[in-house]
Amino acid sequence: MTEALYTRFMERIERGEKIEATDWMPDDYRMLLLRLIHMHAVSEIMGAYPEKEWVPQAPTLRRKLSLMAKVQDEIGHGQLLLRVAEDLAAPLGRDRNDLMNDVITGRVKFHNVFHMEAPTWADAGIIGWLVDGAAIITQTALLDCSYGPYARVLKRICAEESFHMQHGESIILALAEGTNEQREMLQEALNRWWEALLFFFGPPEVTDSARKMMEYRIRSRTNEELRQKFLNRYIPRIRAVGLTIPDPKLHYDEAAQRWVYTEPDWERLGRMVRENTGPKSQERIGLRRRAHTEQSWVREALVRARQRQAV
Amino acid sequence: MTQSTQRPGAVQGDASLSQKPPVGYEVYEVFVQPSQLEPHTHVGSVWAPSPEWAIQVARENFTRRGSAVNLWVVRRRDIAATPYEDEDFFAREFDRKYREVSGYSDNAQRWKRFKARAMSIEDVIHDVREG
Ligand SMILES: [Fe+2]
Ligand SMILES: [Fe+2]
Repeated sequence: MTEALYTRFMERIERGEKIEATDWMPDDYRMLLLRLIHMHAVSEIMGAYPEKEWVPQAPTLRRKLSLMAKVQDEIGHGQLLLRVAEDLAAPLGRDRNDLMNDVITGRVKFHNVFHMEAPTWADAGIIGWLVDGAAIITQTALLDCSYGPYARVLKRICAEESFHMQHGESIILALAEGTNEQREMLQEALNRWWEALLFFFGPPEVTDSARKMMEYRIRSRTNEELRQKFLNRYIPRIRAVGLTIPDPKLHYDEAAQRWVYTEPDWERLGRMVRENTGPKSQERIGLRRRAHTEQSWVREALVRARQRQAV
Repeated sequence: MTQSTQRPGAVQGDASLSQKPPVGYEVYEVFVQPSQLEPHTHVGSVWAPSPEWAIQVARENFTRRGSAVNLWVVRRRDIAATPYEDEDFFAREFDRKYREVSGYSDNAQRWKRFKARAMSIEDVIHDVREG
């Protein structure tokens, strides 16, 4: 029975059909998707923290408004993605509360870049420009995902990310056009973020689960392919605004048609993500915990009000 | 209030957090009507404790940009739907070109022979509106 279902499922995948939440799917397809989308959702939410720190300190009202709009978008992306994850998790008896508790108990990881400090306004610019730029590359690469609900949500997310792209560019362009001090601040921010940006795409070797995700057409490109796309697109722009990439080994290998770079410290940064030991990991998880627990009475009150109404 | 001392590494579980959620939250499907000349379009879903809250959350999640004049939220369990597996339900058993404009593309050629021009509904609409 299951074997026939599996064969039919794989035929659908190979025909390029979309799978829906109510369709039969192999357990490992569900688990791979759930892990990916759960981490994506949580990263959107945790990604709002380094940026929201800059809302009260934004240099102009317009910057403050656009930064707030971006923070709202990221939280919104988290909510859309959580809905997709919840429908995948429902047959496992897990719901939104469980998925959010996993952040607080450290059972779900979030992207390395959101464990880091954003000490200056230039960091806010680099996040909008390059962290969102990297995230846009990984997200557009998932637009053709075989899982319909994820593909649909990504379409909406990418439409909003196009604003994030302009927002980030606008901040760094203003700094690049500015005083020596501003340009220095921008260079220092780039120095802080460069290694983390390379790490963001994941290790170059294709793991078993990555291979499985490609078989299931959840994703179609390897980590290294995406990193190279990022480097191709951004290195010329980074140099164009007069910044120096802090990697003496960095060059384009014409023969191999790829960028050669100094590998990030996979071991150290990997541990930081796994164990939540980045400079800001605990503080931000603490904020999330506080938001979650201090508002639990509101959630309960809403339900009780509804129950009273229903009587 | 619960932001207590944490050991580095995985964060400690908190007993008060592992409580099950308040029953009553459920999934609502969301439909946005961008203008009164357009139908409501399904845009996604939210998790909410009541229809009123579903509307609030839907507004935050789906109408930050673009226009909207109306929002519907419908409890997912109240929706009846066709299963995706039932492909026969939407089967087209034969050519349906006769139902579509493209099935009459030869008209233009034939009007030419009568030294007249074919017209389309867009021409008529334009004429009636602007003319
Ligand atoms: Fe986002
Ligand atoms: Fe973004």
